[in-house]
Amino acid sequence: MNIRSTVLGALCAVSMAFAGAAAMAQKAGGTLVYIVQPEPPSLASFLSTSGPIGLVAPKIYEGLLDYDTDLNIVPALAESYTVSEDGKTVTFNLQQGVHWHDGEPFTSADVQFTVMEILSKVHPRGPNSFREVVSIDTPDEHTAVFNLANPAPYMLRALSAYESPMVPKHLLEGQDPRNSDLATNPVGTGPFKFVEWQKGQYIRLDKNEDYWKEGLPYLDRVVGRFIPDASTRTAAMENEEVMYGAFGAIPNIDAVRLRDTDGFNVTTDGYAMINPMALIEFNTTKPPFDNPALRRAVTVALDREFLIENIWFGYGKPATSALSSNFAATGLYAGAMPNYAPNAQSEQAIAILDEAGIAPDADGVRASVTLDLIPYGEDWRRAGEYMKQALSEIGIKVELRYEDVPTWLKRIYADYDFDMNVNYFYQLPDPVLGVHRHYGTDQIRQGTHFVNSSQYSNPDLDALLVAGAQEADATKRQEIYAEIQKILANDLPVANLFEMEFLTVYNEKLKDHATSALGSYGSFAEAWIDD
Amino acid sequence: MSHFARRMRYVIKRLVQAIPIVLAIVILNFFLLQLAEGDAVDVLAGEAGSATPEYMAELRAKFGLDQPLIVQLGVYLKNVVLLDLGYSFRHEMPVSELIFDRMLATLLLMVSTILLAVGFGIVLGLVAAISLNTWRDTAISIFALITYATPLFWVGLMLIVVFSLNLGWFPTSGMENFAMFYEGWDRVVDIAHHLVLPTITLSLFYLALYTRLMRASMLEQAGQDYVTTARAKGVTENRIMFVHVLRNALLPVVTMAGVQVGALIGGSVIVESVFAWPGLGMLAFEALFSRDLNLLLGIFLLSAVLVVAVNLVVDLIYSTLDPRIEVS
Repeated sequence: MNIRSTVLGALCAVSMAFAGAAAMAQKAGGTLVYIVQPEPPSLASFLSTSGPIGLVAPKIYEGLLDYDTDLNIVPALAESYTVSEDGKTVTFNLQQGVHWHDGEPFTSADVQFTVMEILSKVHPRGPNSFREVVSIDTPDEHTAVFNLANPAPYMLRALSAYESPMVPKHLLEGQDPRNSDLATNPVGTGPFKFVEWQKGQYIRLDKNEDYWKEGLPYLDRVVGRFIPDASTRTAAMENEEVMYGAFGAIPNIDAVRLRDTDGFNVTTDGYAMINPMALIEFNTTKPPFDNPALRRAVTVALDREFLIENIWFGYGKPATSALSSNFAATGLYAGAMPNYAPNAQSEQAIAILDEAGIAPDADGVRASVTLDLIPYGEDWRRAGEYMKQALSEIGIKVELRYEDVPTWLKRIYADYDFDMNVNYFYQLPDPVLGVHRHYGTDQIRQGTHFVNSSQYSNPDLDALLVAGAQEADATKRQEIYAEIQKILANDLPVANLFEMEFLTVYNEKLKDHATSALGSYGSFAEAWIDD
Repeated sequence: MSHFARRMRYVIKRLVQAIPIVLAIVILNFFLLQLAEGDAVDVLAGEAGSATPEYMAELRAKFGLDQPLIVQLGVYLKNVVLLDLGYSFRHEMPVSELIFDRMLATLLLMVSTILLAVGFGIVLGLVAAISLNTWRDTAISIFALITYATPLFWVGLMLIVVFSLNLGWFPTSGMENFAMFYEGWDRVVDIAHHLVLPTITLSLFYLALYTRLMRASMLEQAGQDYVTTARAKGVTENRIMFVHVLRNALLPVVTMAGVQVGALIGGSVIVESVFAWPGLGMLAFEALFSRDLNLLLGIFLLSAVLVVAVNLVVDLIYSTLDPRIEVS
């Protein structure tokens, strides 16, 4: 087998040298109390990608690989990997001497079991990430060979502790993973061990004394606290009762104030892997948005920079295409597309409507629509109020609707009873993982959340999506995605609004908390407190 | 029949009467909750990011949500009769266990609030009534009006700003210090320390109510014939006020306190949320948004039982305060 190898040994050595240089200053010990909001339903990260689970579980479980802040692949449970020339065989060499928190050794059998029996079957995104995996061979305890039906370049981007946690075979085998005790009593290989979960109060994790990475973690204990009220979360941060809050746990309005206060700081690092995008989903199957001209007019009439500056306090970047500009790193982003101006172009929007024959009635109304808003906070409501006003200028009369989460989910994804819906999606580190689900005909899955609710179906695009997923050659893949972005900028079943920048607010005593691209979905293994 | 036996009979009779009331409440709540769109499976799947329709159907079957409504109600009622409140699929725990865990926190907050509000309310009302139309009366009335009219969450946040952030006297939130995990006596002190701000916040609102009620009640009683009689008999003013009038004036206050125990559970949602106090109010609030109906019904049932029980106790206290009110 001719091997195009990507051995990580060298990288590993470099990162260890770094660790060595910085180790002088690091202090061991202490408890990190951080905000987990809302309280997670369980800690079963192998069953759910729910945000609050991601804030806790990756401290306990680990993935095969990790990703540094520049999105480079770095070793985790796999110390290195090789990809065969045809892209259909991926071999992982596992770390030696790794143990589960209950003392059992971690082996290639755990990898095989996790991917084939758990992630491919019950994980929300696993069946997609591992769809080309036919089988996994385990020639010895420390080697796992993935046999693929087709090349799957995106798979190597989906192996983090958050996305694909390795779970213990000996505790899950022969059981229904959905009813497992592991959901509330997790056992992983990570730097922290689960101790207790007081419902309504906190989850406590203690240092794993036998962690396989020498000298880590620095912290003795990590406690995730649940504080329902946003103002109280801010007060708790100011009072130093908590030291870290990610994913907007501290609202932007307070975050910018704390940013300018001594002792606190704010970062947008640590969200590159999830790549969040704010957007509008249009219902393309019924009037008025079955007409692409109206969809184009809406996206042209909205002022993306206004939204970012006035509602999100400057944190965000105007969207310019179906793909986030973060995909420039992998070459898949094809530059700014038409119909994606950063500022409102009302005249152009009106011209589009006139040309399409969508004329105003006696009151100047060209179309009346309902705008649903994602019920995840006040910011979205304000965004809706802005849109209502902006769209009225081009003769689109908007009625806002704000419902609670279950009602909203049912309306958009089960009943398709909507005109346009403001939402945000994670585009994830590869379009196959996070973007395809919006647009493919096979993603019109009634009752499944966060897929193609626009019910957009375009055979040409479907063919391109399949080709993009299986293309191993980087240049050809780039061309395919450029074509996809052109089609989508014209059809606009979904209009991207802006690339979101979530804020992590932290106490400056807390150091090295964002050492990977996963940020708060990472492990805190290298975090330490300087007091 | 002895006094005690009569009382026991009365208590038993009241308890038996309560059964159909509680059952009716359960059934009403059950149907009321069905009016909400979406179910627990929608929420779980929504949070998970994605789920196949087969998986969601499987979950619905597991939760019993695929059964006809009337069957679901039957199963629930049968379980309630057997004192089984069912299972919360969201928390993956029996409902009774969840409620019991949170019950202590709620009781702690509720009891300290009632004591503080009723205690201070009575004192302030008494002072206002005795010093009718003086500056003291006016000051107390204004204070009561302001605290009554101020939204709870705002009071809570202001107390946090002043006493936690500026003065540093109390922690902002939570029931314990999670960095320390105190044990034994230290833990009691720690919890008491955390209890202060939420109790004051929740008390202020009710305090106003009891103050005004007590003042009005005192004034009303002071004009009664028996007061004139007592005065004619040469009883001192102090004795008239503190023995004769006070005792009668307390009746409406005690009634009110009884009625408000139920409201306290509801009113504490805001305070629990602001102070991250892990009580039943928050649990109910979250259960509603996650459509965890078993849990919600359990909490409703418990509040219903609590209100019935407290009102019974209030009736018993009545007869002690005023022996003319016979329990029969």
